[in-house]
Amino acid sequence: MDDNKSAVLICTCGKQLQLGFDFLETQVKKMDLATSVDVHDLVCQEEGLPKIAELLKASSGHLVIAACSSQKIQPRIDQYLDSKGLDSSQIQYVNIREHSAWVHKDLDEANQKSVDMIRGTLARSAKSTKRNIEQKEISTHVTVIGGGIAGVESALSLSNLGYEVSLLEITDELGGHVRSLPVVAPTGKSGKEILSSRLDMLQNDNNIIIMTKTRVKYVTGEMGNFTVHYTSEDEEERTLNTSAIVLATGFKEFKPTSMDEYRYGKNPDVITQFELSCMLSEGKLTRPSDDKPIKEVVMIQCVGSRSEDYKKDCSKLCCTFAIDNSLEIIERIPDANVRIVYMDIRVPFENEMIYKESREKGVDYIRGRVSMTWEQDGTTYVRVYDSLLDKYLETPVDLLVLSAAILPPDGITELSETLGYAIEDDGHVKELYGKLRRNETRRRGVVAAGGVTRPQFVFEAVTDAQAGALIIHNELQGGKIESVSRGAVLNADDCVGCSLCAQQCPRGVPLMIEQIEDEEADEEQKILFKATIDTLNCHSCGVCQSLCPSGATQLNFLSNDQLWSEIEATLEDAGPEYPITLCFYCEECSVSTIDIVGTRKMEYPANTRLIPVPCAGRVSIIDLLKAFEHGASTVMIAACEKDRCHIGGTGNEIAQVQVDVARDILNAIGWKGERVDMFRMFSAEPERFTNAVNEMVKRAKELGPTPVHEGTAGKWMEVTE
Amino acid sequence: MSNPVLIIGAGVAGMTAAVELADSGIKTILVERQETVGGNALDLYKAFPTDDCFYCFEGNRWRPGIRKCFYRSALTDQPNISLRMNSEIGDISGAPDQFSVKLKVGPGYVNPKKCTMCGLCLEKSEAFRLLSPQCQPQAVVYDPTKADDGAKQAEEECPTKAINLGAQPTEETVQVSDIVIATGYHEMQPVNVDEYNYGKHPNIITQLELAKIIDPIGESGGVPVRPSDGKPAKRVMMVQCVGSRDENYYPYCSKICCIFALKHANILTQERDDVKVSVVYMDIRTYDRYERYYRESRNTGVEFVRGRVSLIEPRKDDTLDITVYDSLLDKYLKFSVDLFVLSSALEPSEGTDKLIETLGIKSTSGFVGMVDPASENEVVVGDHIYACGAALGPAEVPESVTQARAVVSKILQSRK
Ligand SMILES: Cc1cc2nc3c(=O)[nH]c(=O)nc-3n(C[C@H](O)[C@H](O)[C@H](O)COP(=O)(O)OP(=O)(O)OC[C@H]3O[C@@H](n4cnc5c(N)ncnc54)[C@H](O)[C@@H]3O)c2cc1C
Ligand code: SF4
Ligand code: SF4
Ligand code: SF4
Ligand code: SF4
Ligand code: SF4
Repeated sequence: MDDNKSAVLICTCGKQLQLGFDFLETQVKKMDLATSVDVHDLVCQEEGLPKIAELLKASSGHLVIAACSSQKIQPRIDQYLDSKGLDSSQIQYVNIREHSAWVHKDLDEANQKSVDMIRGTLARSAKSTKRNIEQKEISTHVTVIGGGIAGVESALSLSNLGYEVSLLEITDELGGHVRSLPVVAPTGKSGKEILSSRLDMLQNDNNIIIMTKTRVKYVTGEMGNFTVHYTSEDEEERTLNTSAIVLATGFKEFKPTSMDEYRYGKNPDVITQFELSCMLSEGKLTRPSDDKPIKEVVMIQCVGSRSEDYKKDCSKLCCTFAIDNSLEIIERIPDANVRIVYMDIRVPFENEMIYKESREKGVDYIRGRVSMTWEQDGTTYVRVYDSLLDKYLETPVDLLVLSAAILPPDGITELSETLGYAIEDDGHVKELYGKLRRNETRRRGVVAAGGVTRPQFVFEAVTDAQAGALIIHNELQGGKIESVSRGAVLNADDCVGCSLCAQQCPRGVPLMIEQIEDEEADEEQKILFKATIDTLNCHSCGVCQSLCPSGATQLNFLSNDQLWSEIEATLEDAGPEYPITLCFYCEECSVSTIDIVGTRKMEYPANTRLIPVPCAGRVSIIDLLKAFEHGASTVMIAACEKDRCHIGGTGNEIAQVQVDVARDILNAIGWKGERVDMFRMFSAEPERFTNAVNEMVKRAKELGPTPVHEGTAGKWMEVTE
Repeated sequence: MSNPVLIIGAGVAGMTAAVELADSGIKTILVERQETVGGNALDLYKAFPTDDCFYCFEGNRWRPGIRKCFYRSALTDQPNISLRMNSEIGDISGAPDQFSVKLKVGPGYVNPKKCTMCGLCLEKSEAFRLLSPQCQPQAVVYDPTKADDGAKQAEEECPTKAINLGAQPTEETVQVSDIVIATGYHEMQPVNVDEYNYGKHPNIITQLELAKIIDPIGESGGVPVRPSDGKPAKRVMMVQCVGSRDENYYPYCSKICCIFALKHANILTQERDDVKVSVVYMDIRTYDRYERYYRESRNTGVEFVRGRVSLIEPRKDDTLDITVYDSLLDKYLKFSVDLFVLSSALEPSEGTDKLIETLGIKSTSGFVGMVDPASENEVVVGDHIYACGAALGPAEVPESVTQARAVVSKILQSRK
C-alpha cells in the first residue's frame, strides 16, 4: 500500500445532500492520491462507523472523510475508533455539506468546489503523520505568590487536590487586606473571623509551607519546571523548583495625595476608606489629628475611579465598603452624622438591601461632587455640590473619608517580564479570555486569582482561587501528564537562534536555551542560543511555524509541506476563466461562523475554496504567496475578532501582520495588494463571513487575471521554494 | 466506584461544570428541562465583556482551542456525560453522597444521536423545527401540538429513523453522590408592574425580547423593529430597575441589567442605522471594567435621564408618548418613542423554591444561598450540594463559569 495515498469516504447525508455524488466519485477516482472511493449514506451513524474503521485499517490510517462539519462528527468518530483500538489521528475531514452543498444553488459549481476541496485534503492527508500519546512526569509542587485570602484559599485547594504548596508572602503576616476589614459583606462577620479557620487549616496542613517576608525576584523555566528566585529576610537570593504558579498578590488602594481638592496627606483627618476600616478593626474611632470624638463624617465616592486622570473604570467595591463602614460608625457613635457624596451608588444584588438599611438608619446620600477641602481655625471644611438640588453646601467635618480607587498591586509589571503574563491597560494581570478564562494568563502554568486581575469581593476571590486550583490541576494532572503529542515540534539543527518563536508564541512555550559549547569553540559560527519547544505544553496554533525563518518549528499535524501541497492541489483548476478566492479559516470562531452560514443556508459565490488552519496565526506570508503562485485570484484569512483569539489572544494579530506584509509585497511587485485581506468574525454574526467572501470574490473579478494567470509572474516564486 | 454527579440545568454554568467533571474522569448526569442546552444564553446574541457570541463555553480539553460554540460541544457524544433533555427533577431522597433522585424524562420524539439535521422532516411538516443553529444536541425538535400527515411521512422517511411520534415520557431513579444546582435565572415578566403597561402594548418589551429582535439570526435580520408592525424602530427608550430595588417586587439589585442595557444601547447606536436611545435610571451600575459601556454610550450620544417614568400614552401610529420626571432638572420631560424597553428584574428560575425546600438548603432572596456565609464559600450550598451560575443570584457569564469551575474543584477536592 502506498504510504502517500488515502482512502476517501464521501457521505450523502441520508441521500439528502444536493450534490452529484456520481460525479464526485468519478472525479475523485481519477486522483492520484486516492486509493479508493466509497460513497456512503450515513457516515456518522451506527452503519457508517464500522465502514470508517474498515477503511482506516485498509489504508493504514490515511483516510479522507468528506461529509458535514467535522466539528460535529469528529468527536463521535474518534471515540468509536478509540474504542476499537484504532488510531484516528491521521484522518482528514472536508466539509461538503455546510461549506458547499448547503450554500451553493448551482449544482455544477458546488460539485466542482467539493471535488477541489477533496483533492486538497487528499494532498494534506498524503503527508500526514501519526501522533502518539506521550507521557512525562513533573513535580507536584505549586508556588502561590501572595498570602491574602485568594492566596490562602489557593494553597488550601491545591493541597486538597494533592499538590505540595509553597505560599510566599512578602509581609510578615498572612491575610492581606481582609485582616483589617471590620465587616465583610454580605456575611456581617469581621475579616479576622473569616480568615481564622483558614489559617488554622493552613497551619495543620503538612503539604503547605508558609514563607513570610519572602520577595519573589524573578522566575525562569516553564510549566512543569519553573525556578522561582526569591529573597528572604536576610536578603540572600534562593531558588525553589515548582511546576506551576498562582499569582495572588491582590490589590492596593490608591493614595490620593495628588488630588488637591481633598488635602489627603496634608490634613490627618482626611483618610481613605481602607484606613477607616483599619481604625474600625482596631477599635479606635477618634479624630486622628487630636483624638477628639467624631461626629461629622463625610465620605466621598469614586476618588480616583471613573476618572480620566486616574483610573478610568469603577472600583466596584468602594460603594459597598463605604456603606458597611458608615453602618459600623453609626453603630459605635449613634449620634454621628454620616454623609456620602456620590455619582451613582453601586451595590450589587443583596448589598442593595444594606444600602437601604443605611438610609433608614440615617446615612445621608448626596449626589454630587466635593470641590474643595480646607482648614480654618483647626476645623476641616468641605464644599459639596449637590447636583439634585443644584446647590453648593459648605460643612465642617471631623473625618473626611475618601473611597479611593482599587489599583493593581506593586511589582506585577516587574514579575511579568519573567513570568510572561500580559498586563491589562489598567495595570492588572490580563485574563486569557474575559468571557470564559478569567483565571488563566497568557503564560501556560501561571494562573492569577483574586484582586490581582480585577477588584473582587472576598467571596469572589475565594471562588476565583478554587477555580484557579482546578485550572492548575487540569494542566499538571497530578504530575503524570499523558496526552497526545499534537503541536509544534522543533528541529534544533535547523534553528538559527532568531528567537522570533519565543517572543511571539501566544502561550510562551518556546524557550531560548544557551548552547553549551562542548566542542571546540568555533569562532566563526557563534550560535549562542537555540529554541526548545515542549510539544506537550504547546497550544497548537502554529504562530511559531509561520514566523520561523528556517522552518525549524512546525506543527506535527500541519507541516509546511502539507499546507503547501494542499494549496496547490485545491487550486489545480484555478485560472482566469473561473477566478478563485482562497480562504484560510481558523478552526475556532471562523469555522463556526462558516458552519452556521451553512446551517442557515445563506448563499455565497461558489468560486471560493476553503482551507482550515488551527489558528489564523498559522498562515505565513509564504503560504499567502503560494496561493497566488498556484492561481488564486484573491486570498483571505478568516479569523476570530481582535483580542478574542482562542489561543493566547494574539495569534490572529500575528496573522494580521503577515497579511499586511503580504499586501506590501504584492503592491511592491505590482500585483495589487487588495488581493489579500483578513476578516474577523464570530458565529453570532454569520453575515460577517458572507460579506467578507462576497467582497473578496468581487475584488477577484474587478482586479482581473493575476500575473500568474497571464504568465508574467516575476522571480519571487523561486525564492519561496 | 463513586456515584455520578447530578447537574441540574444546562446553561453555561451547568454545561461548564459537566464538561470539566467529565474531563476529570467523573461521570455526570446533566438534566435540562428544555429541548436544547444553553439556557438563557442561546437567545442573547452578544455577550459582554468580550462583545462576541453568547453561545460559547469551555470546550473540552481533548479538543484543542479553549472555547467552543454550543453546537460543537458534542455533549451528546461525551463518554462521561449522560445528557437528559426535556427532563425534570422529581423526588430527592437518601443521604449526602448517595442521593436517590427521580428523573421525569419527557417524550423523546427525535433521537438526537441519530438526527443529522438533514432537513427532510422540516420540509414535510411544521411540527419540526430547528430551535437555533447553535442548538445542542444538533437535532430538530418536534412539537406534538402541530402533528399532521407530513409528520407521519417524515417519521417514515427520515433517513436515520430518528423520529418516533409515539414516544412516551418515562421515569427513572438515579443514584448520585453530589448535586450541582445550575438552574439559572428567569427574566421577570413585568405584567404586574402597572406603571409600565407591559403586555398591553406590543412595543413595550423587555431586554431579553430586545436581544432577540436585534439578533441577526432573528426574523428582521438584526434590524431593530417594532413588534407592532415590523417597521424600523428609530427611537428607543430603556428604563432601568423594573421590579428590582423595589419593595413591591424584588428588593435586591439585579446587578447586571445596567450593563446589558448599555450593551444593547451601544449596539443600537453604533452598529445599527440611525437609532436614538434614551435610558431612564436611578443609578447606573456598570461595575469595574464594565464602566467602558457607560463611557462609550455617553460618547455615542445615548441620552441619560436620571429619574422615573410617570406616564405612558400609546398613539395611533403605534408610537408611545412617555413622560419622565427628571430629578436632576426637577422637571417633567416628554418623549415619543417606537420601542419602550424594560430592564426587568432577574428572578430565580421556576421551581427553585421547591428545589431549595426539598434539599433543605438556604435561600438568598429566593436564589440558592451558601451554607455558611462566614466561610465565603459561595458555591457550597449544602452537604455534597453545590451551586453555580445565576442560580446563586444574578450573574454574568464569566462569573457563572468561574463558579462552575470552583464547584468542580470542590468536588475533586472532596474525592481525593
Ligand atoms: C437581557 C440579558 C442580557 C445579558 N447579557 C449578558 C452579557 O452580555 N454578558 C454576560 O456575561 N451575561 C449576560 N447576561 C447574564 C447571562 O445570561 C447569565 O450570566 C448566564 O446565562 C447564566 O447562566 P446559567 O447557566 O447560570 O443560567 P441559565 O442560562 O438560566 O441556565 C439555566 C438552565 O437550567 C435549566 N433549568 C432551570 N431549572 C431547571 C430544573 N429544575 N430542572 C432542569 N433544568 C432546569 C433552564 O432551562 C436553563 O437551561 C444577560 C442576561 C440578560 C437577562
Ligand atoms: S464602587 Fe462606587 S465608589 Fe467605587 S468606583 Fe464604583 S461607583 Fe465609585
Ligand atoms: S504552536 Fe503556538 S503555542 Fe505552540 S509553541 Fe508554536 S506558537 Fe507556541
Ligand atoms: S523562530 Fe525558528 S529559527 Fe527562530 S529561534 Fe524559533 S525555531 Fe529557531
Ligand atoms: S464563534 Fe462565537 S460561540 Fe463560537 S467559539 Fe467563537 S465566540 Fe465562541
Ligand atoms: S429527517 Fe430525521 S435526520 Fe433529517 S432532520 Fe429530520 S429527524 Fe433529523
